Amino acid sequence: MTRLSRRDFLKISAIGVGSLTLGQFLSACTQALSTTPPPTANPVSPAPPTSTPFAPVIQASKAAALPPTGTAPPPSYPDLVVARIGEPEALVRQALAALGGLGRFVPSGANVIVKPNICVAHPYQYAATTNPWVVGTLVKMCFEAGAGSVRVMDYPFGCPAEEGYATSGIREQVEAAGGEMAYMTPLFKYVKTPIPDGVDLKEIEVYEDILKADVLINVPIAKDHSSTRLTLGMKNLMGVILNRNTMHVNLGQRIADLTSLIRPRLTVVDAVRILVANGPSGGGDLNNVKKIDTVIVSPDIVAADSYATTLFENIQPTDIQYIAKAAAMGLGRMDIQNLVVKDISAAGG
Amino acid sequence: MESLKGIKKRGVKKNRKGQPEGPWVTARKAVQYSTLLFFIVLFIWSQRDGWPANVVDVPVRLDPLLMLSHLIASRTFLAGSALALIVLLLTLVFGRAWCGWICPLGTTLDLFPLRRRDGRRRAPAEGWRSVKYTLLLIILVAALFGNLTLLFLDPLTIWFRTMTVSIWPAADQVITAVESVLYQAPILAGPVSNLDQWLRPVLLPTSPAYYRDTLLFAGIFLGVIALNLFAPRFWCRYLCPLGGLLGVLSKVALFKRQVNEECTGCVLCSEVCPTGTIDPARGYRSDPGECTLCMDCVETCPRGLEAFKPAISFAEWKEYDPGRREALVAIGTAAAAVALFRSDLLARRESPFLLRPPGARENNPDVVAYTKCTRCGECMRTCPTNALQPSVFESGVEGFGSPVLVMRLGFCDYSCNACGQVCPVQAIPPLELSEKRVQVIGRAIIDQNRCIPWSDHRPCVVCLEMCPLPQKAVQVEDTQVWSPDGGSVTLQMPHVVRELCIGCGICEYQCPVSGEAAIRVFSPQAPVQS
Repeated sequence: MTRLSRRDFLKISAIGVGSLTLGQFLSACTQALSTTPPPTANPVSPAPPTSTPFAPVIQASKAAALPPTGTAPPPSYPDLVVARIGEPEALVRQALAALGGLGRFVPSGANVIVKPNICVAHPYQYAATTNPWVVGTLVKMCFEAGAGSVRVMDYPFGCPAEEGYATSGIREQVEAAGGEMAYMTPLFKYVKTPIPDGVDLKEIEVYEDILKADVLINVPIAKDHSSTRLTLGMKNLMGVILNRNTMHVNLGQRIADLTSLIRPRLTVVDAVRILVANGPSGGGDLNNVKKIDTVIVSPDIVAADSYATTLFENIQPTDIQYIAKAAAMGLGRMDIQNLVVKDISAAGG
Repeated sequence: MESLKGIKKRGVKKNRKGQPEGPWVTARKAVQYSTLLFFIVLFIWSQRDGWPANVVDVPVRLDPLLMLSHLIASRTFLAGSALALIVLLLTLVFGRAWCGWICPLGTTLDLFPLRRRDGRRRAPAEGWRSVKYTLLLIILVAALFGNLTLLFLDPLTIWFRTMTVSIWPAADQVITAVESVLYQAPILAGPVSNLDQWLRPVLLPTSPAYYRDTLLFAGIFLGVIALNLFAPRFWCRYLCPLGGLLGVLSKVALFKRQVNEECTGCVLCSEVCPTGTIDPARGYRSDPGECTLCMDCVETCPRGLEAFKPAISFAEWKEYDPGRREALVAIGTAAAAVALFRSDLLARRESPFLLRPPGARENNPDVVAYTKCTRCGECMRTCPTNALQPSVFESGVEGFGSPVLVMRLGFCDYSCNACGQVCPVQAIPPLELSEKRVQVIGRAIIDQNRCIPWSDHRPCVVCLEMCPLPQKAVQVEDTQVWSPDGGSVTLQMPHVVRELCIGCGICEYQCPVSGEAAIRVFSPQAPVQS
């Protein structure tokens, strides 16, 4: 074996460092060149990343493409399903069956990201994080629908991700279902992305995989929130961005702006347990947790959030700023009384 | 019989660094590298969800200097510290084998021999060897007075602290930088992403870890290595207080180096000895208090005349070995230092930013003296948010290297009690999570002149949102104020309920005000708003 002399080592290192620098320089050049057009192929296109041939109802990411108020959607499927009977898995399965099956939203071979709310490290009983079985069932159903890969991820604010994944119980269920718990790191994968329809927020750094996924399924837990009153589907999208604290200067509008960029194909609101006070972290006091065994499913994130407000006392959709702003931007509908809602309750329907 | 000249000409087996080779040296290096690897693995897996705390602590518990001085300073005996008896026993049998075969700092020093360009090194006079004994005595006498400041010079604490505060964060920066460059290449984006998903949870922090004064701690470490320029293992020869402790015991060690009378005085062993203790003037005998049993001499001797054999004897007491003079210097220095620490401003009124790990205050009424902390840095390593940092200013010179929370760099995770579990000497008590959650680390105070709703009249209650307590310590009051856009606006103005706040600091960490946060955690004893 020949030994590497220091001179050779330095040469090799110099070549290595030089080529890395050159690579960085070149990539900087391409970035500089592409400032006018969007930096990558798809992130800012208003439609969801794929061509969505399989999801006729919600291919629309823009309200314009949604059926206008009053017009019935394709007759067979409701706008929103709420299931209120049974264990979490049964709730999710019933709700999605009523919506025409997950296959409507997850094309075979799709790269799916499921985004639960794992903001802190509390066991799921405290209703600070999404119910693990709701997440696990969705992962299972994605595979049943033929998904190519299913990854579950969030970026907790109150703990390291590993800890949140484990303590919430979500890791266990996701891995049992064959899914992957992925981390929203490294930080350089957050790409600055313009928000063409943003009213106040014009650009934001978003985790690249979220932008690149074929299908994003949003699985918030419905709970009390100190700044926005409730955290639901749209608020849950704040998990895919890095700098959340500057959102707060105009939180309602900025969440709506973010929603105009990140368009989950399906929103599944977990209300198996809801946290009615001291959100979003909760923890410590089970008296603030109400078990109501409910799951709300809709391709319309605004409708799902609007309906979820009715689970709480004395809250109307209009009381939640981000719902009102998003509806005003045409991102979805908050007039739940006019929606076709299928309520699977009592009779076990 | 081969002539001396012939031997010198033929030389002995040496590797390209000029170090002797042979089965004993190979065995020593095998042990050195595998224990170094073991220490690194322990270091890596000493984070939460890694190995159990009592495994992670093993290196610190093995260190007799840490355990002995902790015993003296705290006047409490910890069962776990009995592990250090293994090393003491080992030393009584084999001498300073710890230094030559096991110590991670010693192995690191061997990895960087740092020969000077002209090949000459100027070792200081033999008398310098007494520095380590003087340091040792100062540490022990100071411990008697309840002070453990100088333990930051223990080789294990140096090694672990530097790994935590400097080497690992820097390695993360390098790895991430390389990744981010490779990631730009479209073909590599996928593999790099997958690599990071696998690598980061195992090895690297989720988000970059920042430590204050990381350069200072790296500098101390590099300085110790740089001393190799003057003499191999300069640190071990002249300065290491743990080496001093083991050196004294080695005087009566069972196995000692013995030279056969047939020795012709070829000087090779004397030249090769990394601690320079083989004295040609005294028949090539060595001082067991200095010898690290590296076996270089055994492998170097062309005639195999040197061996380590059991012999019950008491080695000669050298000029530089500790005596009355060193004892007096140590007592004087320790007493003076402790007296001066007691006269320091910080002894009268602690820094308002002295935020100790949860539960540490209850355990250590005299927080400035901090009579239990051995400065081992395990808590800083295990802290998942990097909130725990070595103190440089908050607790003065006396508390140098002891842990403080720096909330702008991390926060005390409400669902974590790792630091108390991992502390080998219970300076941070091993609390259950439920107990830890009620420990008061400090109190948050809002600076209304900088807080966004208070001063800018714009909405922001991130602090309220972040507060992890079941009954939130940040509360808001709807207040009508003039709006920056003209007219008036109703805003939520945050207040801290002092009785509820535990000072976990997540509000300070997340406060969107740039620079210093507009909400800041102060020491619970700080003389503010009392």
